[in-house]
Amino acid sequence: MTIQAPVYLDYAATTPVDDRVVERMVECLGREGCYANPASSSHGPGRAARGRVEAARREVAAVLGAKPTEIIWTSGATESNNLAIMGAARFHTDRGRHIVTSRTEHKAVLDTCRQLEKEGWQVTYVTPGPGGIVTATEIEPALRTDTVLVSVMHVNNEIGTINDLPPIGALCRARGVLFHVDAAQAVGKLPVNVDTLGADLLSVSAHKVYGPKGVGALYLRGSPRRRLEPLIHGGGHEWGMRSGTLATHQIVGMGEALRIAAAEQAAEAERLGALRRRLWDGIAGLGGVHVNGDAEQRVAGILSVCFEGVEGESLLFGLRNLAVSSGSACTSASREASYVLRALGRDDQLAQSSLRFSLGRFSTVEEVDYAIRVIREQIDRLRGLAPQGGEDGREAM
Amino acid sequence: MDAGILDYSGEVRHRFETAPRHGRVLAQAHERLAGGAGEPGKGVRVEFEARVRNDRILECRFRAYGCPHVIAAASWVAEHAEGRALGELDWLDPRALAATLEAPAHKLGNLLVVEDAFRACVAGKPAAAG
Repeated sequence: MTIQAPVYLDYAATTPVDDRVVERMVECLGREGCYANPASSSHGPGRAARGRVEAARREVAAVLGAKPTEIIWTSGATESNNLAIMGAARFHTDRGRHIVTSRTEHKAVLDTCRQLEKEGWQVTYVTPGPGGIVTATEIEPALRTDTVLVSVMHVNNEIGTINDLPPIGALCRARGVLFHVDAAQAVGKLPVNVDTLGADLLSVSAHKVYGPKGVGALYLRGSPRRRLEPLIHGGGHEWGMRSGTLATHQIVGMGEALRIAAAEQAAEAERLGALRRRLWDGIAGLGGVHVNGDAEQRVAGILSVCFEGVEGESLLFGLRNLAVSSGSACTSASREASYVLRALGRDDQLAQSSLRFSLGRFSTVEEVDYAIRVIREQIDRLRGLAPQGGEDGREAM
Repeated sequence: MDAGILDYSGEVRHRFETAPRHGRVLAQAHERLAGGAGEPGKGVRVEFEARVRNDRILECRFRAYGCPHVIAAASWVAEHAEGRALGELDWLDPRALAATLEAPAHKLGNLLVVEDAFRACVAGKPAAAG
């Protein structure tokens, strides 16, 4: 089999739209398609579009173990996180102005919390426990009588670890605190059930599971009776909590993507787990390679590792035939080490030489073997270029 | 990721891939100079070795830990040092080197480390003959 470079190993960043999803989406585009405004209930085409939207809503709800009315369409997980956190905080101001989250959340959560801090809320950022996993042990001491919301992600997007959410959900329920889960990296990779997790709010995205970009959903327990303060006004769509004409083709794509992902999840997890172990076995022998985060409690397809003795930018350039994510935020002026890896205690050198390999539906054994070969070549070469302990008495790296 | 963060010039790509003048010199102690600068923990460490005779650099080699610009710069310096007198340092100008490599302005600090490493090398004293 011929390998076509670059080999895509960045499925945690985004995924290609599955052909089966494309087929459903195309049915909603073009003059012959189901293109009418789903809010136009006065005519047949509008009602047909509404029917497709509601069918997709039922699909998403079924995947999450929710009621269809508890699903609010958004533009993606970032908006879902914003709506969940800001919407809940602003709606429940009378209960208090304190939020608890973790240091290793996605920026869509952290930056939203920072914004609320500017508006007068207080936020406690807890440090994850061993292996980068957030548990009730870290959350409980942070709770206060005025805590309104706890927000913890299900699967960490950088290192792939799975947080221990059910006890956090139970703790929140016992304390009367809302519990928000960013499940963007979990849906399709794990069974996700809002009751099992004890989630009151849960954010999902389509493009992480072979659906289109630009669409997501927020689960809100008890909706539409339970309310959030909307971020977007005008039109009163989604029970007044998220206005804007519904993008039928995007929503239909999301419904189909989540349906497929849930149906294939168990078999896919087994296949990806085997590929991930093959990748790890192939590079561990280099020595000086460390897994970031707990080695066991993680989703099947994500392997985050750091390499001793290689500089991050050179590593990334040396591996340019592999589409992977680095452990640093690259900007034109600097390479800032990942805040997630630093929260795990990695020093700057290791954080900057970290790579996230994320495997997905179209990853193959041949691609993994190619990646192993390229990684071994480049790590050996870059380590060979580096000083190994100089005449001035420096330690070898 | 910022567009262009891995967008290197042809010169940098060539030197990063092939690393001309990488390694160590084979020389008698009295003909060998060595020196380095930088810290791996800060992202750059460069070391040079030179084989010298009659105060002239006959051969120069580098080893480098750093970004592709650092590796390319160290390679370029080692190559252009050969044949020059030890006291001749005017040719080594980090700003001119940045222009040669088409390195962005924020990489100048890294190139200064390369310069420091080379100056440390040529400032070293060879072991006494014999």
